Amino acid sequence: MTFSLVRAAGFFGFWLILTGLSLADLAVGILAALVAMRASLVLLPPGQWRPRPLLLLRMALRFLIQSVLAGLDVAWRALDPRLTMEPGFIVFQPRSPPGPARNAFCAITSLLPGTLPCEEDANGDLLIHCLVVSPDVAPQLASEEALFLQALGGRPDHG
Amino acid sequence: MTLALDLLTIVGVSAGCFFFVAGTVGLLRFPDALTRMHALTKADNLGLGLIVLGLLPQAAGLGHALKLVAIWLLAQVSAAVASQLIAGAVLRQRSAIWP
Repeated sequence: MTFSLVRAAGFFGFWLILTGLSLADLAVGILAALVAMRASLVLLPPGQWRPRPLLLLRMALRFLIQSVLAGLDVAWRALDPRLTMEPGFIVFQPRSPPGPARNAFCAITSLLPGTLPCEEDANGDLLIHCLVVSPDVAPQLASEEALFLQALGGRPDHG
Repeated sequence: MTLALDLLTIVGVSAGCFFFVAGTVGLLRFPDALTRMHALTKADNLGLGLIVLGLLPQAAGLGHALKLVAIWLLAQVSAAVASQLIAGAVLRQRSAIWP
């Protein structure tokens, strides 16, 4: 119950940021926050993960730096007259469980330099498109994923 | 102080525009749909981030500043999700044409 209320309060806060504080709209905002809370409980049931705030913060900082590098990398390639790239695919075996955790990892991967997850095959392996195919990509993704799972705190024995 | 903040705005917004232009150049120059997705998502995200960073000093208050950051976060999440969906669609279309 407390957990649901915290989520609802979070959604209401987000709604306030987006629409601004206005008494006339409060009822709609509260309703929207309750609906969002209900949906979030179905999509992301509580108790699966025990996020570690410090590790999450470290991951967020790392992600911010990586996404700056990703933008620089792609801008450099686009403006370089030689257009240097060796595009291709790698197959990556994710350790994150299927569902929200893996989706979040894919979203992060798509904003890292040079990688874009395209498909998940029947075995659960990810087909990842790379701007430059190299043997380093898979180990790099594995270490990103390990950090991600550690920050989520769901599987201390594996993460 | 105002001058410094205005300078930050000018530098941030100009740098942001540069990355949008670079992303567009990538969209035109990169060889196929998948490489173009890299150009669009990554360069535009950095561009929007820099523009938001540049606009923060001009925000009317904390509420407006948070709204700018929220816009950037929402655009980042939608770019991350949409690029994967488009990449998946491109692959399915390819395998339909060349099985």
